[in-house]
This record gives sequence, structure tokens and C-alpha cells, in this order.
Amino acid sequence: MSFKRLETDDFVVSSDSITSTLWSTGVQTLTTFFTSSVQKAGSSGNFYLSVYEADTLINTQFDIVYANSTGLGSAYYDATVIGKTPTLSSYGQYRALILEDENKSFNFGTGDNVHTATDFFVISVERSRYKESLFPGSLNLTLSGSNGEIHLTDNSKDVSVNTFIGSSKVYQLISGSNGSAGTLTNSGFVNASGSYGLVFPELGTILLNPQAISQSIHVDATRTENSTNGVSNVTLYESIALGKSFQLNSQETITSDYVFARARNSEFNYTQNPTFISGSTGEVIYSNFINNPQTYITTIGMYNDTNELLAVAKLSRPLIKDFTKEALVRVKLDF
Amino acid sequence: MGYLNNQVVTVDAILTKKGREAMAKNDGSFQITQFSLADDEIDYTLYNPTHPKGTSFYGEAIDNMPLLEAFPDETQIMKYQLTTLPRGTAKLPVLNLGYSAITLKQGASLAITPQTLSYLGNDQTFEGSGYSATISDVRLLGTYSGLGINSTAALNANTNTTVTIGTNVSKTIIGTQINLRATTVNTLFGTNTTLSSTLTVVGLDSGARLTIPITITKTN
Repeated sequence: MSFKRLETDDFVVSSDSITSTLWSTGVQTLTTFFTSSVQKAGSSGNFYLSVYEADTLINTQFDIVYANSTGLGSAYYDATVIGKTPTLSSYGQYRALILEDENKSFNFGTGDNVHTATDFFVISVERSRYKESLFPGSLNLTLSGSNGEIHLTDNSKDVSVNTFIGSSKVYQLISGSNGSAGTLTNSGFVNASGSYGLVFPELGTILLNPQAISQSIHVDATRTENSTNGVSNVTLYESIALGKSFQLNSQETITSDYVFARARNSEFNYTQNPTFISGSTGEVIYSNFINNPQTYITTIGMYNDTNELLAVAKLSRPLIKDFTKEALVRVKLDF
Repeated sequence: MGYLNNQVVTVDAILTKKGREAMAKNDGSFQITQFSLADDEIDYTLYNPTHPKGTSFYGEAIDNMPLLEAFPDETQIMKYQLTTLPRGTAKLPVLNLGYSAITLKQGASLAITPQTLSYLGNDQTFEGSGYSATISDVRLLGTYSGLGINSTAALNANTNTTVTIGTNVSKTIIGTQINLRATTVNTLFGTNTTLSSTLTVVGLDSGARLTIPITITKTN
């Protein structure tokens, strides 16, 4: 017998939350930012601006979007149809995605300090970067403008109850660091302008409130009718690039299947290894192997009912097996 | 007084080509139900039962050797399975297929009836659970099936008898008789006149294993 059936108790499923640095280079904080003139001038540049970590322009880290409810800040699709622009399309896109109701508006802030916005910036992180979601409390973004710098984070450590907009979990983007406003006044909000934005971890999306940012560091969107596409995207990009600090971690749940392979003392003590026998008749190579055979486990194969080898694991070094030893090997399968 | 090592050996498994295929098929075939152990890479001629320092050193040349990582090709790993036999076994089971190599013309058929030598005191016997036979590239065969075993596993393995699509994946069937018929598809040959693969037969009771080459010859 070479195959041993696994019992129900031999299987354990475990889910573990794994967090890691988000940027493709593995660094915790992105300090340099690059854009592609080709992407910017292309049709996608009318809607968003892709940001890279290096001038090789290979790995997109995130995209910047400007959205406006009245279509200001970009050019008409068709000169005969007034008001229909890429910024309006983007606004509708995020309204459908997040608010899930065409009659609702984006509100930044909580309590009596709420700003209802008609426009916003978006930082949309590449899916492969954030894996499953942004890790709350890890966001530290510095924006720079003519009136100085602001350091932004989510307020995940200042709130005890999760808040949702539609079906999306949301945190307020506030002034502070590592998920908290600390001792800052107004809980990191801007007086009469609400929060600096909204952070949606599961969507990998950060909305920024232009009014709050403008009030703090004088960086604002361009709200001209039928203007050049992508101008506001560049405005936010320049503010991020001047700030030189964007820190964010990813989070994902790894589900592992643990299989316990148990070899009892009387099992698996002989082998079909050709060096274990001498000649073609199958005699064991050493006479002491007749009553005291000794084998070495190096490989564990996991099979289905039809004896198809589905998964395989190797030990780091041989594990001795004989009639006086039992072996228990835990095999981990990640999905 | 020292501490006993109470750690369980933990290893990370990788999916084989067959495992990925089974997962992609989403037909329930990716269901781990049994395991087997193997001693691939071990050379027992390195074992030294005459070591001057005694029994603890017999396996000195094997005990601490580093091992290679797992290969994802299911035909290249688990080559030498460990097997459970009664203590005192002096001869290990050996398979006899009646062929040391198989050469078939396109469309030609062959039936193989494996036998096991030196198993449980018998010189020659057919194993009750049958034999699994794995062709490393199923495209070479137009039909490939096993007969003689009516277990659920055997019936499932033998259901899909004709597979000549896609890339070179292996296929395993179960039976006491293995029927194979060479493919008639010309396009597989390209500019070649022959196609080659391997057939691995394993006794399901004894664990005895034998791999032989199989060659298909183009006829037109």
C-alpha cells in the first residue's frame, strides 16, 4: 500500500489576514512620482493621470481623477452638447459606484462640520497594489501647495464604529498621521469645510475634498467651463509630487488548507526506490533492512480519488522513518 | 534534562500541473482524499551499515543532505513511493508489464495486463485494487482506459477516455488491464515522424512502480 486515505480530522482550513507594503518596489513610503506624457496626451488622459514610481514608467501605482457634477474642468465631448465632459462622466461613475443613488451627493465630514461637494479629486490605487483592500491606519499622504504642507491620514483609529456609504466602508481623510488626528483641533477636519476626503479601503479609492485642501494649502481644482482636459489631475499630481511622501499598506486574506499527513510506525517503511533493492528481483540492498528497514521521507504527494497527483510538498531535509518512528507532517496549501 | 522537540514538520505545498488543471475544470476532481510519501533524491547506496562509529552513523551521508524544491510536473515527482509491507520482507514487489518499451503506429491498439512479482509471498500475482497507469502526454493516445476494476475511483478515472485537446497534460486511469490506442491526429507530429512520452504504472496495493517509454509512429 502506497496511498493512505485522509480522514475528516486531517483537514483544517485557516484564514489569515496578511498586510504588506503597497508599492511595487516594496518600499513603505513612495517619495518619487512620475507620469507618462504619452498616457496624459492619449484618450485615457482626458479622464485620469497614471502615476508611476520610476521614470521607467512600467508599474502604475495609482491614478488621479478629477470629477465634477456639472462637467466643469474639462472639454465637451461634442461642442454641440453643452456640459457633457469627462469630469462629469467621472462624477457619475463614482456616484454610481459609491453613493448607489443618483439623487445623493458626496458629503465630506461628520456631525455639524459637513461639506456637500460638487466636485472632488480621486486617488484610485492599482488593484494589484492594494490586493484586497487598503490597510486602515497605514495611510500617510503629504500634499504641498503655496500655503505649505498638510499631512493626511484616515481616521480609522479615532472611530470605534465602522461607517458605510452605500455598501462601502468609509473613513474620513483627516489631518494627522497613522490613522489618527492625535491632539489636532477639529479632529483633523477643516473648519466649515468638513474633512479632507473619504477613504474607501475595499475600493482602493481615496476621494479628496478640493475645498478643504484649497483652504489649507491653496491647491484647488480648475473649474472652467469647456477647458482643457486633465488640468486638475495635474494639479493634484504636482501637489503629491512636491509633498514627496505617500505611505500606504495593503491587506489581503490568505485562506490556507492544512492537511495533516500521518504515517504510523508500521507504515511506509519500505520503498520502491531502485537503490533500495539490488538486482531485478527486488531483494533489499542490505540484509539488516529485512527486519529493520529504514526509509527517508523527502516528498509528500496529495492525491484525489483517481490517484491523480494534485499537490506536492518537499521537506527541507530527509525525515527518517522506520518501524519505531511515526511521522506527522503538516502540509499547507494556500489559495 | 533537555526539552523534547514537539514541533510538527510543516511544509508548503505547490499545485502540480494536474492540480491546476483539475482546479480549472471545476468538476470536483480537485478533491484531496489521500496522500502518499516518497523518497525521491535518496540514494540508499550512501547508507553505510559498516560505519566504524556504529548504527547512529549509518545514514550519515543521507541524514543532513539538502533537498531540491518540488517540481510542478506530476510525472517528475513522487517517483519512488514509500510503501507499507509486513516486517521481514526480503524482496520488494516488482512490476512486470511484459514490455520494456512500447511502439505503436498511428491508430494501433494495445492491451497491457500488469503483474506484480514477489508480492506477499507470491511469485506472481494480480493486485486486487488494480493498477494506476499515467501517460505523461495524453495527446498521444486517441483512447486510453482501464478495465477490470469497478471501484468508484476507477470508474471516475476511466470515464473520460478520449482527450486530445490542449497542451501536454497527463492522464491517469485505473484497471487490471490497460487499453490504449495511438492517436490518429497528424498535426501533433509537425515535421517529426514519431512522438514520445512515458507510461508509468503503479500497483495500488504494493506500490510497485515501473515507467516505460512509449513511441507513436506516423503512418501517413
